[in-house]
Amino acid sequence: MSQHPLVEMINIEKHFGGIRAVDGVSLNVYPGEVVGVLGHNGAGKSCLMRILSGAMLPSGGEIRVNGAPVRFAEPNDARAHGIETIYQTLALANHLDAPSNLFLGRELKTRFGNLDDARMLREARTVLARLNPNFKNLRDPVSSLSGGQRQVIAIARAIYFDTKVLIMDEPTAALGPSETAMVADLIRKLQADGIGIFLVSHDMHDVFELCDRIVVMNKGRVVGAHPIGEVTKDDVLSLIVKGALPDDWTARNLEAAQ
Amino acid sequence: MSDASNTWQAGGERRVLIAREQLHRASALLTLLLLILGFSLASPAFFSVNNGLTILLQTSVIGLLGIGLTMVIITGGIDLSVGSVVALSGVVSAMAVKAGLPVVPAMCTGVLAGAACGAFNGFIITRLRIPPFVATLGMMLIARGVALQLTGATPISQLGAGFGRLGNGALFRVVEMQPNGFPRVIFPGIPYPAILLLIVAIAATYLLRRRQIGRHIYATGSNEEAARLSGVNVDWTKMYAYTMSGALAGLAGNVLMSRLVTAQPSEGVMYELDAIAAAVIGGASLSGGVGTISGTMIGAFIIGILRNGLNMSGVSAFIQQIVIGFVVIGAVWIDQVRNRR
Repeated sequence: MSQHPLVEMINIEKHFGGIRAVDGVSLNVYPGEVVGVLGHNGAGKSCLMRILSGAMLPSGGEIRVNGAPVRFAEPNDARAHGIETIYQTLALANHLDAPSNLFLGRELKTRFGNLDDARMLREARTVLARLNPNFKNLRDPVSSLSGGQRQVIAIARAIYFDTKVLIMDEPTAALGPSETAMVADLIRKLQADGIGIFLVSHDMHDVFELCDRIVVMNKGRVVGAHPIGEVTKDDVLSLIVKGALPDDWTARNLEAAQ
Repeated sequence: MSDASNTWQAGGERRVLIAREQLHRASALLTLLLLILGFSLASPAFFSVNNGLTILLQTSVIGLLGIGLTMVIITGGIDLSVGSVVALSGVVSAMAVKAGLPVVPAMCTGVLAGAACGAFNGFIITRLRIPPFVATLGMMLIARGVALQLTGATPISQLGAGFGRLGNGALFRVVEMQPNGFPRVIFPGIPYPAILLLIVAIAATYLLRRRQIGRHIYATGSNEEAARLSGVNVDWTKMYAYTMSGALAGLAGNVLMSRLVTAQPSEGVMYELDAIAAAVIGGASLSGGVGTISGTMIGAFIIGILRNGLNMSGVSAFIQQIVIGFVVIGAVWIDQVRNRR
């Protein structure tokens, strides 16, 4: 693992009126690391991720990319720094086909500024085939595709461009077992490529299988940040629900060493 | 195994989906042909070159408005102000002529006035977050009020022959002078408004299909939040659509007033509804993301031919309204049925 974090969020705040949705949270990710971001609904994790992806402006705090402070006013700013997001809702335009969705907002153009649909189709075919070899019906509106295929488009859109940090919001919530396994494989592959990943998930099995480190949020604050080897599922559940570790907690890996 | 069956399933659905889209277009086209056939049988004068050209002329205004509205409707919005903007921009052009400007720059002023109205709509909708229905309803009253106020509710006439050129001129007009000194029209020519409509329709189709802004217009109407998260400047896209709608209403206003060679501040009432009907009959969905210029053109001609044919058959203007009302409801109903399946 390298010395510098890819992205650091320092003391991030987000207020809605009097409500502190995110309250002084700091978070980072190193190259090739998968950080699980956990917490029950309304704990502030989605808010935090939206801030990092440029979809929401923070009320306070600082974001640094490779040590340099940045400001994300809109999603394109975050993308320009290699921060891509796979949203839980997938964020696909249902009436458009797969290539149009893949390149939405970043369309490939010909010399005359026209849309280069032929090239977008070719590129889409290549990248989608890598994720799912059965993906053939690229010209259909995505509303007519299966859940798995839609997920594949959302993933392809996030990894096609020069991605350094990937935010995955519940990437397996809508998927069947075989597709979930595909996403898990993909995460490992991206990890091997040195991409830093924030994995927002409720699925304990996924979290323990994939993450190197977990950060648990409760009521807008970070209540626990641990290397995955240090905690058990019960510990994590306790953090999520109670906002604290069990009273008799000791680090799992240290316990085993004793 | 499950992947394979998914693919197969989606493939099957796609055939249904494409068939559905083509079905709608085909049914609209079929309606158009049936109307032509029916009216031809009802009135012998209907199916003639002269009447055909009259229909082209009459439909061009609704067609121009329909193109602008199609863009707005694809973004998921609506523009109720175009009828009033027609009047305002015609009045502005006429006043510019009266102020001594040559005809072409004067008409450009009118189109710009229309674009300004559209841009104002876009501003209200994107910045003040007022729903399009309310924002453009407001503009409908504002533009009409301004047109009436500027003219004192009296028409501006004596604008000169040059002002009537756009609305009354025709290409390839063939006139023969007879020995008795009276001219005889061999071919009345293709009216300029029809040519203008064709050019605008092709340009708009190109814009929607081949340009980034067109793709963004569809994406915005399809899923606004997704478009925003994908880095589409949704506000700018909407501004663009409303400004285009306003500018095309301005163009339509100039065509209409030029045809009358008079600027009537009370012209264009309820035109927005004909234009919306044209877009909807042509398959545009009021919930956004769907619509084509070719469909809207078919829709505009269905309305134009219905009006013209009912006139030729001696049906009163009141009955015409009733018929067109039912046609619009029927078209939207077909759209609903199509989406429900």
